[in-house]
Parts: sequence; structure tokens; C-alpha cells
Amino acid sequence: MLDQLTNLMDAAIDRCAYADARHVVHDAETVWVRDGRVDRVQRDRSEGVGVRVRVGGAWGFAATSDPSRRAIERALARSLAIAETQPTVVGHPLAPTEPARGSWTGPCELDPFGVTLEDKVELLLAAETAMRGDPRIVRAEASARSALSERTFASTEGAACSQRSHECGAGIGVIALQGNELQVRSYPAAHEGQSAAGGWEIVERLALAQHAPRIADEAVALLAAPACPVGEMTVVLGGEQVALQLHESVGHALELDRMLGSEASYAGTSWVSAADVGSLRYGSELMTVTADATLDGGLGSFAWDDEGVKARRLELIEDGLLRSALSSRETAGEIGESLSGGCMRADGWARQPIVRMTNVSLAPGDAGSLEKLIADTDRGLLLETNRSWSIDDRRLNFQFGCELAREIVDGRLGRLYRNPTYTGVTPHFWRSLDAVCSEPEWRLRGLLNCGKGEPGQIAHVSHGTAPARFREVQVGVASA
Amino acid sequence: MSAGHPSTAQLETLAEQALERCVGEAQVSVSHERSLLSRFARSQPTQATGIDALHVEIMCVYEGHTGAATTTSCAVGDLETTAAAARAAAEAAANAAGSVGDYPGLPAPDPHWRAQPHDGFDAATAAVDPGSAGRALQDAAGVAAEHRTEAFGTWTAGAVRTAIASTTGVRVTDAVTDAYMRVLCYRPDGRSGFAARSARDAAQLDGAALTGEAAAKAIVAGVPAVLAPGEYAVVMEPEAIGELLGFAGALAFNGLAHNEGRGALAGRLGARVAAAAINLADAPRASLTLPRAFDAEGIPKRPIPLIQDGVAHAVVHDTRSAARAGPGARSTGHALAPGGDPDGPVPTNLVLSGGGAADVAELCAPIVRGIYVTRLWYVNTVRERETLLTGMTRDGTFLIEDGRIGRPLRDVRFTDSVLRLLDAIEALTKTQRLVSAGDFYGPRFAFGVVSPALRARGFRVSGTTPG
Repeated sequence: MLDQLTNLMDAAIDRCAYADARHVVHDAETVWVRDGRVDRVQRDRSEGVGVRVRVGGAWGFAATSDPSRRAIERALARSLAIAETQPTVVGHPLAPTEPARGSWTGPCELDPFGVTLEDKVELLLAAETAMRGDPRIVRAEASARSALSERTFASTEGAACSQRSHECGAGIGVIALQGNELQVRSYPAAHEGQSAAGGWEIVERLALAQHAPRIADEAVALLAAPACPVGEMTVVLGGEQVALQLHESVGHALELDRMLGSEASYAGTSWVSAADVGSLRYGSELMTVTADATLDGGLGSFAWDDEGVKARRLELIEDGLLRSALSSRETAGEIGESLSGGCMRADGWARQPIVRMTNVSLAPGDAGSLEKLIADTDRGLLLETNRSWSIDDRRLNFQFGCELAREIVDGRLGRLYRNPTYTGVTPHFWRSLDAVCSEPEWRLRGLLNCGKGEPGQIAHVSHGTAPARFREVQVGVASA
Repeated sequence: MSAGHPSTAQLETLAEQALERCVGEAQVSVSHERSLLSRFARSQPTQATGIDALHVEIMCVYEGHTGAATTTSCAVGDLETTAAAARAAAEAAANAAGSVGDYPGLPAPDPHWRAQPHDGFDAATAAVDPGSAGRALQDAAGVAAEHRTEAFGTWTAGAVRTAIASTTGVRVTDAVTDAYMRVLCYRPDGRSGFAARSARDAAQLDGAALTGEAAAKAIVAGVPAVLAPGEYAVVMEPEAIGELLGFAGALAFNGLAHNEGRGALAGRLGARVAAAAINLADAPRASLTLPRAFDAEGIPKRPIPLIQDGVAHAVVHDTRSAARAGPGARSTGHALAPGGDPDGPVPTNLVLSGGGAADVAELCAPIVRGIYVTRLWYVNTVRERETLLTGMTRDGTFLIEDGRIGRPLRDVRFTDSVLRLLDAIEALTKTQRLVSAGDFYGPRFAFGVVSPALRARGFRVSGTTPG
């Protein structure tokens, strides 16, 4: 296929200012079990080619599920026709890049497609069974997913490369109901559990069955727990919730296409402007954030992004100060940067690449373990596992809900509370960060549902986080 | 068959070819999308996408267990591989479970309930060329400039053809088109206004008119007021109420969630749950909706009342959720995937009946101090059983003072229950509008909500965005 794409680019070179083509084959398998039954087994295979061209500053993109030579030539012709019918546009120069050459394979110890479906189902049923028993449990479920993506890329600038990577993940969840009260618990995370780049070993390490009875017990206990108190207080966020907080209020806010207005009509803009880079205090001095596409096991890891830029590690925020943004060749060129941030990613062959997070992480601090951080907290709440999330179109005003809250009194965990929520404004919130747990608590947490772009695209990203403490946070607004 | 522009007949043939390669009970669904989508920002084009994509899904049933496999290829060898993968998945599920599953079997055609023809396909829209998007964008840029604003937005049109064949004798085909344009106008100071339209026919999208509507909201004079948290009378445009009703569809009318006791209407069917003026239905051939002949299991669509005169009437089912609901329940034609989506069925053609108000001005007239909401943003569920949602207003939020729409308001966060809001509705406009998102994650599946504008009491504001 690489030869076919290279030939296509040879045919495009005199017809446009720039072109690239991606061939993607994506294989996925998902198994769901629920309430003692195998709910569904789904195997998906998707193959196609997307061709992107730039004519007079305007982009055209055409995708076809037919990878034959004739079909991709038609896709090139269609992409050129689309670009040529766009109104005149003043295009910014693309930040230069070395043509991507070679091949790369991501980590995979145990091929997930070599593990039998029977073994996968058995693992999930064992976990699911361990959550049932109490009549107040109305739904118990477990799921596991495996994926293999093979991507081939060529451009009119001489790029010709291929990449192959696996992803695996799993999760369990339970719903308890009593009267009108409904409570949920999940492990190891909400929203499809935990995923990472790698093989089936990732699923095995999660030890789902071992954690199943605990989350079932917690869901039932939450039914009778008092409602979370309302007011301004200290909160300690579990690592998974820090990851989503980081994703929504830092990662998206630092996408340069949003900052420049290109996403205004759908995903929104950003409270941060390109001119803020280098001077804006985003958070407290404990806040250091990186975007690192070279991290082992990250869902946002690769050798080259989807426009052929080599994977990079960007320092986005250093000691609370904004240092850079997530960018593409075009957006970097627009603000006069000499290099793209290497953040262009596409959801398969039928979508054109857009600026995306890679692995955006909060650096570990020196607060020690979660137990030590709690011991160092006089009064507050520990909030665990995301249940709901919402943030405005400039990434300023947010509200999150968590599955569970525990009271912290004199450095010890106390009562359980149900339905905790908290709300805030991004810079105020991050400036109230006063402790981050140390390296041993730091984990890469996968997120599978990051939506952006039109037609819609789902990105898989990872966030390295540890539990962290924030002061004077407004808790409990949704209970009002 | 090439994946260029296959006809519905070619898709039928492909479905038959795939079905011949299946072992045992099976359903084949074949669809093809041809679409265009153009985006613009700062009154200039930013991205333009054309898609030609084939999608084949095969679902096999074995001892009450389902296995499904998909491919984007129409090659005979790939169809065979996909059919074998689906069968293997179903067998593996059955073997691992060690017992018969609860899938009741593929539905058979009902001679008394056939798919009805609809007028949801427009040939000109199916053949639309990229120049249409360019012209709409140029119109938008021109009108935006007249108002000293910049235009941002999206234009899209597409056609989807579908064929389903099953071993139980289902043979159905459908073809639909849809078109959508969204325009935001931004002033230099960052204030914005919004307008959008959805239709079956791309010719209905008027870039200049939409931009004029959006710009009119962006340029409303005055320093934005700030509202304290509390309860306020509200007037919502169809775009905002459509978003809320979409969530209600999943939280209240999902037959699977209802069976499990976690649906918002569990134990409340037959009880009053909304104001007496509220009539909500799933109406797949209503005049403004995006019609659909059948669901993902090939079950023909037909109208189903969900709330009648404020009383909860029904939830929707796919084959599996109907079987779990027990005797008397049957699929209502709301499967989102062959065999039923793991999260259950939802209505995709919601229609909220209009009322007697002539326009939004009449809705605002009795309000001394309240909020006018153009659209909502990033709405998400806080507590499912209560239909408690949170989200923000965006692109056209105004203060209503002494019966009139007045100064702009800083956007507000709301945390409120959809069912509570439906119970607090005081008036609705006569006219309705189709609202949809047009963002198309995955294969194109256009759907929307037909809704009037409305006035309600006690909209719960829980915060304000900073200036």
C-alpha cells in the first residue's frame, strides 16, 4: 500500500500546493457481559484511504472505503475538486518538517487477537458475577476491548512511513437502586474502564474480579449515604478525576486551533490566546503539564502524527506558567512557530487530521502517597471516579460529578457521601492546587471518548496523573 | 461492486450475497454514505470533507447469543471472513456462558406492519456538488461583514442508502438525505450569535438568511448583565429544548433502562409527569422530521406517543428489551444496532407538539425578569433517575425584562431536571422547527427533534461564566 500511496502523491504533486494520503486498517473486538450473560461480541474491521490536498490555501479532503488504485485516484480527484470550489483563502505557510520515513510498531506483549474469545468472556464473567448478589444491584456489567491499527502515510513532500499499534482495555461497573435513589460505581475508571497502548497483558493486570466485590459493596453503601455537603472546601481528587479535570480544563484549552478560532462553531474557543504563551500564569507553581507522544503505553503515543510530524514531548505549563500549545503544521505556521507540536490526529481513514491531545500529563509532586496527602489534610473531601462532566465553550466554567465522596477529618477518612459535584473556573481552580502526590501514585489513564471536529471524531488519549489537592473549591452545587 | 455510488438495488444484492455466506440465523445490514461537509472560521474555509463509505454488518444468533462483525469491504472473501467472524463470536459467547442466552431471535416480517414509504430522500441533495458549500459560505461571509462580524460554521449534506436481509425473511431498503448548516457570528469583542437549520433538502439551507439571524443576536447592544444563581422564568428556542429532549429520550424512554428500574419513568407510566399541554411522540414520518422507514433490526417505524396531555404513556423497545419486558411487549422499531445496542433503544424522531403562542415575543410578554436562551452547550447527565442535567447557555443569551428581550446576559450554567422543566412549561409556540446536531460521529446517521419554542417557570441557574 505504501507504494500505491507514494504513486498517488507523485500524481498529485503538480496539481496542488501540498497533498498527503493515509491508508488505515483498523481491527477491533469488544466483548460485553451483563447480568450473567454475554450481552454482545462485536468484531469490526475498517479499511480505507483519506486524501488531503491544499489548493491556494484551501483544504480538500476525500475518503473512500475502497482501497483500490482506481478508487484512491478518484478520491484524489474529488479532494482537488472540493478544494478548488472553496472560496479564496489566504493560507498560512505550513511549519516545516522532515519527511517521515520508516516504520514503527507500538508495544504489545500478548497479542489480544491470539487470546480466545472464550478466555476473554470467562475473565469478564468472573468479574461480573462477583458484583452480583445483593438484590439492590440492578445492573452489573463488564467489558473488554482490543484493537489493532495499521496506518500508512505518504505526502508530496516525500514522506513515506507506516505505523502499527495495539490498544487494549477493560472495565467493570455496577448500578444499585433503592426507591428513587440510583448509585453507580466503576473500576478502574468510569466510561469504559482503563485502556492503554499494548496487548492483552493490560487487561490481565487490571485484576477486575479482585475489585468487583468492593465496588458492588460501595454502590450499595452509597444508597444509604447522606448527600454530599454544599459549600466551599478543600478537595482531594483521585487520580482518575484529576485526569478528566486536566483533559477538559487544560488539554482542550491549549489546542491551538481552538485558540485561533477554527473550532469556534462546534467545540468552541479558548480562554487562552496565542499571545498568552510565555506569560500567562495558568495555575499554582505545583502545576507542570506536558504533552508527550513518546510515552510508553500512552493512547496518544506514535512515531509520527497524522501529517507526518515526528512525535514530540512539549512542555505546556512549567511551574504554573504557560509555555506552549498543542499545534499542527498549519496552526504553528499561523503564529510564526518554526515547528509543529506534532498533534495532528485523525479518527480513522474517513476523517481529516485535526489538532488533538497526545498524552497530556500533570507531573507528579512531592506530597507522597494518597494516604499521606489525606493525613496532611485537616478537613475536606476525597472525590473519586468521574460520573458527569460539563465545561463551557471557552473551557472556563466547569462542573464535575463523581461517583463517591469521603469526608476527611483531622487527616482521616470518615463518612461516605453520595452525589458529590464540584464547580469552578479554570485558572482560579488550578491556582488553588497546593499538593500533588508523588511518582509512585502517578499513572497513565486512558480516555476513549474525546469528541471533536466535524464530521465528528473520537480520539483516544492518555493522561498521566496522581491524586491532587485543591483549596476553596465550591462543592455540591447540583444538590441545591 | 465498486464503493463509488452504489444504488439501493446494488446494496440489496450485496446483502443477499453476504447472507448466503452466513451459517444459521443471521442478519446482514449494508449501508452506503456519500456526504460533503465544509467548515469555516473567520469567514474563510477551514476544512472540507467528502466521504464515500460502505459499511457491512453481519449479526449471527446462536443459542440465544449474538455475535456481530463489520467490514468496509464488499469483496467476496471479506464477506466470507466477516460472516465467519460473526458466527464464531456468537458461538464463543454461547460456549463461554454455558447456557442459552436471552436474545429472542431475529424478528420476522409482520404482514400487518410493513415499512411505510416516506419523502425523506431528495435526489438533488444526494447528488449535491462541493460548489453548494462554497456558495453558502460566500453568502455567510458577505452578510457577516455587513454586520461587522465574522462568520464561523458548518455546511453539510449527505445521502445514506440501507438494505437489510435476514434469514427470517426480512428484506427492506431505505434511502434518506439530510442537510444542515450552522452559522455563528462573532463580534470583535467576542460576543456571538447563532442560527442553524436542518432539512432533508440542501436547497432549504439559506446561508445568507442564517447569517443574518446569527448576526442579529451578536450585535445586540449593551454590556452583558450578570445573573446570580437562582430560579428564573425562561424562554427557550427550539435548539435548546431539542437538546434537552434528546437527553430525555435516553433517560426516560429507553425500554431497557425502564425494565431495569433505572429509567426516569420506572413506575410512572400512566402518571402525570409534565404540564397538561405537553404532547411528545416519536413520529418517524412527521412533516418536519428526518424520516426513517425501519430500525437497525429492520422493524418498520411507526408513530408512538410517549407523553400525552402530560401523562407518561410509553417507552420504546428493540427486540431484546421487549423480550425482557415480558408478555405483551414488542419491539417498537427503535433498535440502534442489529440485536439491540448494549445501552438500549432510544427514540430518534421526537416531536414536541406546538401550542398557541404566535412567536417568542408572545412567550416573553408575561415575564418581568427572566432568561432568553438560544442554545445549550455541553449538556451532560448529573443524575439519571431524576433526569438532572447540567450545561451552559451559549451564543445568544439575553435578559428578559418587563416582557421584552433586552440586554445580553453572560452565559449561565444550569443544573435542572428535564422532567421538572416539562412540568413547568407554561406556553409553546405554534410553529415548530427541526433541530439536529449534524456532527456525525461514526457512519452518518442524521436524526433530530422537532420542537416549538417555549416558556417555563423556575429554570435553575447554578453559575455564570466569567467575563
